[in-house]
Amino acid sequence: MTNTGISSDVSRRAFIGGSAAFAGLPLFGAVPQKQKDIASAEEHSLNSPWETPSGDATPPVLVRRLFLDLAGRIPTVEEAKEFVKSKDAACRAKLVDRLLASDSFADYWSMRFCDILRVKSEFPINLWPNAVYVYHRRIRDFVKKDEPWDAFTRALLSATGSDFRDAESNFFRATARRTPEGLAEAATLTFLGEEFAELPPETQKEYAKYFRRVRIKTTREWKEEIVYLDPSDTSGPTPVAFADFLLGPARDRFAAAFVKRVDWWLLGLKTPNPAHINIFKKNGFRLKPLVRVIALSGAYGRGSVTGGFPCRRIDAEVLDDMICDLTGAKRDYQSIAPEPFTFLPPDRRSILIEDGSITNAFLLLFGRPTRDTGHLSERHNEVTAKQRLFLFNSGKLFQQIGRITESKAFRNRPMGEILQDLYWRFLSRPASDSETKMLLTHFYGLPKGGAKWRFPKDVAWSLLNTREFLYQH
Amino acid sequence: MAAKSVIELWLWGGPSQLETFDPKPSASSDYNNGLKAIDTVVPGMQVHEWWPNLAKCTNLCSFIRSMTHPHFGHETATYLMQTGRNPGGGDVYPAIGAVVAMMKSKTYSGDLPPFVILTTAKGRFSEVGFLGDQYAPLVTGGNPNTAKFIVDGFVPLGGLTPKEIGRRFDLLSSIDNFGNPEAFREFEAAGKQARHIIEGDAARTFDLALESDAVRDRYGRTWIGQSLLAARRLVEYGVPYVTVNMSGWDSHKRHFETMKQRTAETDKAIAALLCDLHERKLLNQTILWVSGEFGRTTKIDRNPPWNGGRNHYPRCFSSLVAGGGFRGGCVVGESNETASLVTKRPVTPVDFLGSIYELCGIDPDGPMPNPAGKKITVLPPASRGGRLREIYA
Repeated sequence: MTNTGISSDVSRRAFIGGSAAFAGLPLFGAVPQKQKDIASAEEHSLNSPWETPSGDATPPVLVRRLFLDLAGRIPTVEEAKEFVKSKDAACRAKLVDRLLASDSFADYWSMRFCDILRVKSEFPINLWPNAVYVYHRRIRDFVKKDEPWDAFTRALLSATGSDFRDAESNFFRATARRTPEGLAEAATLTFLGEEFAELPPETQKEYAKYFRRVRIKTTREWKEEIVYLDPSDTSGPTPVAFADFLLGPARDRFAAAFVKRVDWWLLGLKTPNPAHINIFKKNGFRLKPLVRVIALSGAYGRGSVTGGFPCRRIDAEVLDDMICDLTGAKRDYQSIAPEPFTFLPPDRRSILIEDGSITNAFLLLFGRPTRDTGHLSERHNEVTAKQRLFLFNSGKLFQQIGRITESKAFRNRPMGEILQDLYWRFLSRPASDSETKMLLTHFYGLPKGGAKWRFPKDVAWSLLNTREFLYQH
Repeated sequence: MAAKSVIELWLWGGPSQLETFDPKPSASSDYNNGLKAIDTVVPGMQVHEWWPNLAKCTNLCSFIRSMTHPHFGHETATYLMQTGRNPGGGDVYPAIGAVVAMMKSKTYSGDLPPFVILTTAKGRFSEVGFLGDQYAPLVTGGNPNTAKFIVDGFVPLGGLTPKEIGRRFDLLSSIDNFGNPEAFREFEAAGKQARHIIEGDAARTFDLALESDAVRDRYGRTWIGQSLLAARRLVEYGVPYVTVNMSGWDSHKRHFETMKQRTAETDKAIAALLCDLHERKLLNQTILWVSGEFGRTTKIDRNPPWNGGRNHYPRCFSSLVAGGGFRGGCVVGESNETASLVTKRPVTPVDFLGSIYELCGIDPDGPMPNPAGKKITVLPPASRGGRLREIYA
């Protein structure tokens, strides 16, 4: 049996750094380090804002990482300061629990599951708007209530009925090819992380058989469709039997495929950590206990400069939300299709767009997944010149940045305080002494007039264009 | 010599073959609404009466009157016309623009992205498919037919002198101290390239004010006129692939009113582009292709709610090609007396795209790079009719 679905799937150069050793780091307790690494880390981490001398992430890095991974945003200044200044030894665990219970977690992680389950109204999936909203709500409930993945899988595979009322029936509709092979292809990728085309022909035939009886018919209601099993042919197996197969003989592969995605999302691992698979199984195939264990692990707490934690460019939707949160910018959604035209309020968070067919220029530029196939590789986290050009030079964005720095209340403070404020807002940490000194020297050297007046705006613009801001690290 | 650049004028919605390049003056008014065809500078090569400017330069372009495929829906038809593939299956193929951009990137060294779309993306599917974001189009936004065509990101920020811009980049490089820049090679290279665009003069390509009033008037002071002028400036700069997405051709209702207005603007703009490219000696190295995803039903639907409309029709429709190794003054294929069936030399989207690839120096049967490392070719095999070699120069 080939098992290349996700590994070929995640091969895009999304993560930077990380080390081979990182994947094998123990989950709990102190993280052993080679002597050499410790030496270089110490050298580097003298006054490093990002790492302790032993290569662990500093509290500001950790709080930012946890918010990005579990809430799909960076912390506010207050949230970051609270964590950084906390003397409570259990503050990390408390924050993880609070975030896991939050609506933001459900919003962000349901976006990820909607990517995998191909939730979009238009070509080539054609769920159409009503069904998109029904299905999205169901998927969000799965995340929010932390329903077991095996039970949810069974629900998706055994659903029949109207796409408007029986949300799970949309699993079959959310496929580019509604043939037995097309449905088997979607189910194989979704639940086993395997590439249907790469399976041996006899396995392909066997899997396709499970979906032979699935039919979809229209009704007189516009875009309503009914999923049903062909009653004229009761001989063959049904998709429910495929669920039995997944949760029975294929149980290990089924669990591994799920954990593989979570390990990729949180740790950038290309193969799942076997310990995580056990944890997932032990906790009844539930997502949140697995995320909790990872988020509290030693590996997850490593620094990314020398500590081995891999960096990745922040997801398009999250970055859009971060910039809008910071600058008060409004999003400009487009929906050429589907009809009827759908309008979203400009303050709707990007991670909350239910429909993959609704987008905006920013999301297109930063590689939001198209939700055409459900592959993880549909998300493009590469950095392109067009993206950097936009962030450097967009007139609209620069104007928006000015909204932070040009208000009287913001400016009416000593420059040192203004700089600290900007660092906390953008990077969730204070400016270090050397950074403050460097910036003040720069400021005092500027000619009087426009340049001096614009300085806070230029600093904000610079912070927004740093690696530290644009990467999850 | 292979063509250097391609301009694609995409007529979103599917323009009627009868009111464009395959007029049927001798059919009944149930089909042609009593409208006529006109002679052009090429004897025997007629065009619909609403294209008087194009009629003066048909020696520079050729018509294909036998385009055909089976898809009646916009998305599926567009996908086929753009990728040469039938939709469905696990892979989402890139549009021809992204493929040409990728293949030409080896020889193109300009600062502007290799694939530019004026002014909005097609929107219903991703042009770049499984190719990386590197080859995703730059979608300009903005409106070329205004006093200042603003391409966000490319227009210098208000009021900053080059010295101030330089100083701000200095500030950024002293602030941007996270990690080891060597580990962020892609990020740093992209930043360098972006900075080069800001501090160089590539962005002036979008400044239509640098053209004389006479040139701007020649293209017409319309969205399509100024977009095609911008496209000419882009290929002059060297951009390998420029798409102009023009909407408004899906004329189910009020077909003739819509078409009359659309064709008037488009006729003027295409004719100006052809002559301008020719005069600048750019036409032999630039392919222009004009098409929609399909044509329209040929019998006019006079019943309500259409009241004189035409519906989607892919079995027989027309496209235009010019330059870059295509001969002008030719007509490929024929349709029946009502332009509803191909009677001679059917041309499939695969053959059509294959010809453009071939003239760009890209082997349509050659390997197509893809992230999964699958063995696939740029296009499926050509049909029996084959590529448009009869009109290669």
